Amino acid sequence: MAPVITLNFVDYAIIGGYILVMVLVGYALKKYMKTGEDFFLSGRSLPGWITGLAFLSANLGALEVIGMVANSAKYGIATVHFYWVGAIPAMVFLGIFMMPFYYGSRVRTVPEYLKLRYNEATRGLNAISFAIMTVLMSGISLYAMALLFKIMLGWPLTQSILFAAIVVLLYVFWGGLSSSIYNEVIQFFLIWLGLLPIVFLGLKEVGGFAGFAARLQETLLHSIKYLGTSNNPLGVDWFGVVMGLGFVLSFGYWTTDFLVVQRALASKNINAARMTPIIASFPKMLVPIIVVIPGLVALLVLPEFAPAALPTADYNSALILLMKHYLPNGILGLAITALLASFMSGMAGNVTAFNTIWTYDIYGTYIRKGRPDAHYLKVGKYTTVIGVAISIGTAYIVQSFPNLMDYMQLIFSFFNAPLFATFLLGMFWKGATGWGGFWGLLVGILTAAGHYILYKTGAVTYHSDMAANFYQAIWAWVADFVVTIGVSLFTAKRDPKELVGLVFGLTPKPKAEARWYARPAVWGTLAIIVAVVLNVIFW
Amino acid sequence: MSDNIEHKDPAAGMRQGHVLDLKLPIGWLLGFYGVLLTVYGLVTKPEMYAISLGINLNLVWGILMIAIGSAFLLTAYVKRNRKKA
Repeated sequence: MAPVITLNFVDYAIIGGYILVMVLVGYALKKYMKTGEDFFLSGRSLPGWITGLAFLSANLGALEVIGMVANSAKYGIATVHFYWVGAIPAMVFLGIFMMPFYYGSRVRTVPEYLKLRYNEATRGLNAISFAIMTVLMSGISLYAMALLFKIMLGWPLTQSILFAAIVVLLYVFWGGLSSSIYNEVIQFFLIWLGLLPIVFLGLKEVGGFAGFAARLQETLLHSIKYLGTSNNPLGVDWFGVVMGLGFVLSFGYWTTDFLVVQRALASKNINAARMTPIIASFPKMLVPIIVVIPGLVALLVLPEFAPAALPTADYNSALILLMKHYLPNGILGLAITALLASFMSGMAGNVTAFNTIWTYDIYGTYIRKGRPDAHYLKVGKYTTVIGVAISIGTAYIVQSFPNLMDYMQLIFSFFNAPLFATFLLGMFWKGATGWGGFWGLLVGILTAAGHYILYKTGAVTYHSDMAANFYQAIWAWVADFVVTIGVSLFTAKRDPKELVGLVFGLTPKPKAEARWYARPAVWGTLAIIVAVVLNVIFW
Repeated sequence: MSDNIEHKDPAAGMRQGHVLDLKLPIGWLLGFYGVLLTVYGLVTKPEMYAISLGINLNLVWGILMIAIGSAFLLTAYVKRNRKKA
């Protein structure tokens, strides 16, 4: 099959420039990696704008961008719920209410917090499941990248996989989390600069929003208006969107996933840590510009998405086809580099999260305890090599069994959904006990798995797979919440003295050190107001 | 947000670790892209831009990226000089 897009020497120079800068940045960071905290947490030294942009970009992977453009072509403006409902409130909540406990308790990882707040078993459950999922995820995205570049550019699979893996290995091995974060910040600028030309040209060709309004179905043009029942393009009602997506899934991901939380822990002080997700929330609100508009444009300008072709359209190809439709060589290389950068930074993020959890929560807890810091630094560096090797292996396994990709993502969703209940009770109710936390989390995971089996066997039915996914998260969360409280009532309470710094109400309020215009609460409130206004405008 | 390394901090000695100013690599990379695209935009024929609705996208975007890249480099150097002074 002929490749969709042909690149020339200018495009390759742009791709090469990016790779060169990433490797050089990694190499320049090498001499600073003297302690474990330098390598795993950037020495807790980074300013808020860097950790904030990295916090956002860690989630803005290439698959995410391609998938959201596809969603926008399918569901229209309702896709904004993944941003304005499904991200902003959770990010603001993390910054204002939860970060004081994460950063203030000086924990190095999310599972370490669970150990301090609950018990060893809860940490083990979370650390082991997270480590396995993260390293497999990195392999999945590696395969997805190679496949995309094969279809799009005709690059051979094996060479793409090995080349990307070696570049990521080099700069993470040298620069640890700092390399990862710096790559994410560079990716942030590349994604905007690479995709905005499509947005401008698309709007120009279709005649702006008036063109959308004149030529697209009414149901594609509203975010909230048709949520009263499940009879809308999403197939989900308002309760599923607000509770499932906006509350359980969004808070579960943004506030407990170590991949994103690690960025905030790398901040230089508690104010910067709290500002990290709040700074990220502002550009996050704007991401719909580069995903929703192209999705809608695709419906109007691409023959592959003409009304007659829609039933068989491959929505995931929308973004690539738009690039081919609008971008001449030169700018095209920039857009390809943006995708490449978000793939590689996604993999680097997974690998750094994996080596941190492995070194601190698994190796340093169960295998070799109490060694000097230099030992763990070395283990972390070599875990990077092993993590990349496992990713390559996973990429090859997924290549032979493409269905595995769906199954793995499914299993991950079982682990993620209930976690926010465990954290909410842990941080805001001092009565939650160690075993309460463990059994709540375990039952939550099993509930998600059980619900999935019921859905697949037809015992429960929904309007769409998305609705099933949202309600599954709700049930898992409720099960975790109820069981944690139930078991806590009958098991030994923790000594309140041990919980100082970990639980709301037992922790002295931080003195307001920053001036009013630098305070997280001020900016967080502003973020919520802007998100509400945007929702009203596009209702 | 200020991005100075906190010198008041007692652990500042340890934290000098990350003095690499990210504005420099971002500025150089975007600046390089800008120059490359601008030059390419100047030497290419208008027919190539039929797909971008007749707009010489390389030229326009190249100039924009030169501006953004220089802004990053400028802030980085201004800050460095101020620190020295």
